[in-house]
Amino acid sequence: MHSRHKILIVDDDPDFSQAVASFLEASGYDVLQAADGTEGLKVAKAERPDLILMDIMMRERTEGFFTIQEMRRTPALKDVPIFVVSSLYAQIPGFRITPEASWLAHDAFFAKPVDLTQLLEKIRQRLAETARKEVAP
Amino acid sequence: MSQVAPSAPVPAPANPDATAVPGAPATIIVIDDDRAMRLSCEKILAKSGFRVQSFESGSAGLEAVSGLKPDMAVVDLKMPGISGMEVIARLHEIDPQIVIVVITGYATIDTAVEAMKSGAYDFVPKPFSPDELRLIVKRGLEHRRLVLESQQAEMERELLRRRFVTFVSHQLQTPLVAIHQYLDVLRRLDNPDPAKLHEWLDRCLTRTDEIQAIIKDWLTLAKVEGGQLVHQRAKVDLTRTIAEILKTYEVLAAAERITLENRMPEEGCPVVGDQNGLSVLFDNLVVNAIKYNRPGGKVAVSVERTPAEAVVSVADTGIGIPEKYRKLLFGEFFRIQDAKKTPGTGLGLAIAKRVASEMGGSISVDSEVDVGSTFRVRLLAWREPDEAQETGRA
Repeated sequence: MHSRHKILIVDDDPDFSQAVASFLEASGYDVLQAADGTEGLKVAKAERPDLILMDIMMRERTEGFFTIQEMRRTPALKDVPIFVVSSLYAQIPGFRITPEASWLAHDAFFAKPVDLTQLLEKIRQRLAETARKEVAP
Repeated sequence: MSQVAPSAPVPAPANPDATAVPGAPATIIVIDDDRAMRLSCEKILAKSGFRVQSFESGSAGLEAVSGLKPDMAVVDLKMPGISGMEVIARLHEIDPQIVIVVITGYATIDTAVEAMKSGAYDFVPKPFSPDELRLIVKRGLEHRRLVLESQQAEMERELLRRRFVTFVSHQLQTPLVAIHQYLDVLRRLDNPDPAKLHEWLDRCLTRTDEIQAIIKDWLTLAKVEGGQLVHQRAKVDLTRTIAEILKTYEVLAAAERITLENRMPEEGCPVVGDQNGLSVLFDNLVVNAIKYNRPGGKVAVSVERTPAEAVVSVADTGIGIPEKYRKLLFGEFFRIQDAKKTPGTGLGLAIAKRVASEMGGSISVDSEVDVGSTFRVRLLAWREPDEAQETGRA
């Protein structure tokens, strides 16, 4: 039996962060929280979470984007799956960020408020994939 | 991710009068069946630095308009083929802002007047001197510049309005998302801890208040903009208004051990304004002075008066405003990063500024970081009718 997976939530709204954290904890994960990009990066480097949920519009309107880029430049974090969770989606009609968008190296995009069932499913799926890769030679 | 294309440096034209849009010489087309007239117009206008092209008929001129995009057309009214009047109408269909000057003989001044009624900007009676033509063209281009500028201003207002909608929806969405997420998680948790349940419900209520505050401020701002908040310029006693506002916030201030000082003159301080508008204005300033203060700080409201005006100061001992932010402070949704931990909609000072200017006054700020800020509202002092200088009232 391996240890519980660690998920880091980077979001400047403590209520959103708190609610999602409690849900993920109840679903069997250890959850870390950071209130902005800088703190997120610091916690991620120190704790090396298995997956990161990243808000976009924090202190700066695009803070999440830059934090993701910085994480991708950090060797220890370069392969950690990052899910963007943002209301950005809802605000710009027709605006979609797909994982193929090369300028944003994230793995999945969720609009706020986040569908928890879907989120949990995607997290499980993604962590299972990572586990398979690690087992494979 | 949007990119602003760097504007290429355009050499200034030799004659600054020859422009409608800064940086580019204006293009003028001349439509006249008289060859001598075409040539002389071309010569006169080219000498003044304009780009000129002339056409011998209305149809030839109209054909070229889409490609040339002229700022102005000089059109002879009496031509074979398509009439001058029709050329005017068709030119305006292509570019509603094109400036049209008609050339007319003395005998047809009436037609020229007709032409102006149908949208020509001006007319040159034949024969004319080069200076007369240049003067009329210059005036016409000035007119076009003003029209294009006001169009630009209208577009900027529209952009601002859209940005406003984006900001408001983000501000409304953030608390709604939080509430939604709390409720959704509570619904899914089998046995939520009662303490947690209580805490979360409290948070939901707090976030609901946040939404209410945004809607309230947004409505107030819309009312001020629509001229519905500031109705009248009547006599309002600010001493009473300030006293009422300070009383409302005694509890809020006491919680942070902040002293509220009312230094308004006891005999009253009459100004010209609207009671509701002034209440909203000073309410916003006093709330800010309390919210952005330090525990144990002070808020003082005082006035300096001259016969013509009253300058009311709301001074706090709070965090202060760094100089680089002071210009932005009265804009909609501007909030200083350090202040974001204090709840607020970012609309209070925008409202205060609008209200002050609606009443013929103004607002300014002096501040020192970590020492405090003083907001000054300049208002017209009320003068009893017998003191007033105005005479001639029927």
